[in-house]
Amino acid sequence: MAYSLTLEQSAYSIEAVQKASYRFIDRLTVLITPTAGQIVCEIESVANTNKPFDEMLADFKRELLDQQLRSQIKAETEPVRNLILALAFSRSRLQG
Amino acid sequence: MSKFFPLIHYQSTPASYELLPFRFEQLDGSHDVVLTNAVGEFVFIPRMTLNDLVDHQLTQEDDFYAMLRSGHFIREPGDYASVELLALKTRTKYQHLRNFTNLHLFVVTLRCDHSCQYCQVSRQSEDKAAFDMSKETADKALDLVFRSPNQALKIEFQGGEPLLNFGLIRHVVETAEEQNKTESRDLQFVIATTLSLATDEMLEYCRDHKIYLSSSLDGPEDLHNKNRPRPGRDSYAKFSDGLKRARDIVGYDSVSALMTTSPASMTRVKDIISEYLKFGFNSIFLRHLSPYGFAVKTKSYQAYSAERWLEFYREGMDYILSLNKQGIRFVEHYSTILLTKMLTSRDPGFIDLMNPSGAGIAAVVFNYDGDVYASDESRMLHEMGDSTFRIGNVHQNSYEEIYTSENLLTALEESFTLSVPMCSDCAFEPWCGADPVFHHAMFGDALGRKPESEFCKRTMGVVRYLLDAMRKDPKTKEIFMRWVNKC
Repeated sequence: MAYSLTLEQSAYSIEAVQKASYRFIDRLTVLITPTAGQIVCEIESVANTNKPFDEMLADFKRELLDQQLRSQIKAETEPVRNLILALAFSRSRLQG
Repeated sequence: MSKFFPLIHYQSTPASYELLPFRFEQLDGSHDVVLTNAVGEFVFIPRMTLNDLVDHQLTQEDDFYAMLRSGHFIREPGDYASVELLALKTRTKYQHLRNFTNLHLFVVTLRCDHSCQYCQVSRQSEDKAAFDMSKETADKALDLVFRSPNQALKIEFQGGEPLLNFGLIRHVVETAEEQNKTESRDLQFVIATTLSLATDEMLEYCRDHKIYLSSSLDGPEDLHNKNRPRPGRDSYAKFSDGLKRARDIVGYDSVSALMTTSPASMTRVKDIISEYLKFGFNSIFLRHLSPYGFAVKTKSYQAYSAERWLEFYREGMDYILSLNKQGIRFVEHYSTILLTKMLTSRDPGFIDLMNPSGAGIAAVVFNYDGDVYASDESRMLHEMGDSTFRIGNVHQNSYEEIYTSENLLTALEESFTLSVPMCSDCAFEPWCGADPVFHHAMFGDALGRKPESEFCKRTMGVVRYLLDAMRKDPKTKEIFMRWVNKC
């Protein structure tokens, strides 16, 4: 029986949920379903996983927060990241 | 009256900073996180400070503000230099790419006097014609070596036991030296040998032609002989005798040693390190066994997991650090490769830890039969019946055809870590590598699933160990700084 975790889309992006689920792919199987304003995660433990499910679930929730923070940093720093790369390779003659 | 305005006059308004690109990871058993900036420089900060940082709540009075600003994690209006410096460091980090292939491995024979269980390629055969490289093949390969635009060219002779085809080694060395009279490259030769068959005449030749010797030492006599069976069960004695003569004839620092970590090594790491010290080596490479060829067939790879190897590594590193703190300078190579990336802007060019992968574009293998492989692991994979990374043959393909092989380019592109799931968000990515050959061997594609990847577990485990050691003990960081700044 899968555990159901409902997240508010105002707090978590679908990308953050997908990335957190991918990081746990060796321990948890997560089925992600976006609904109106919410994201529902159906979570099951992968067979032969030694760690208790509750502990993995707590780790997963922390990872969700981390991924949401990473999304925020990535979005805010994207223009300057592109600027750094453009400057770095500006004399490489690789530009189109 | 003061000649300067008060400090407040020079400070920008609170929360006016801008975030620069960075990534973070939680540290095990700690309230701290590690942040890495766009070029892999890192700082440790408390978890709560990370939240304040991202929410633009930090002020100049906060303990970590100046460190984050000087480390290029944030910038204030008018801080133009931080972006310029990050761009410069990015360019330095990727500078090796424009140099292209440096390391050229010549597999001069598959024949060997040893029959190691974990060896993927060796043959117990008297048939020279079947498993030795010919002069014609070597000449074609040399033509390709000198097509590389790299000013530094390293030719490493491998086997089997390469000394069984020493005549060809002489031919390659002398032909390359002749060609180099007009090319003027920085040419270097290495022979990877157990030293068991090294005669004084061979060693004198190595001395005269400045050929380095990369030998093998797996630990104390019983362990070394168990790992490396040969007729007479005297591999250790042969190594010991060969090492002494090689140091006397070629030069003390012209001989290094590599170890292979077999399942029997797992409980012996201190014994192994002590053996290296006994022989006067000042470094060791705590390598894991590669998952190819016979190693897979004989199940010896599965005999220890990434977790078990990490226990072995951590125990070894604890011992090595204790030696260094007693004043005995002794270096671990795998850590030093990662630390060089973590503590400097240099890329040490270790094939497994390069992004884009170094397969083919940093190193290439010319097999005894003329086949060209993207890496040593690629030819081992071929021995298992998978020729995905065979990128051509010196007799059939041109330089252009070999280095633009579809299999090679696809693997390099698909495995580029900045666009790989999980890697692209990983704070350790600037220090890590792509290794498409490993992931192809394990998962059937160049990416693999990183959470399940032994490569990922191993690298993450080593990086976490190194970070933890530096965070907890400033003396350890000083030791690491000495390891990466050789003078």
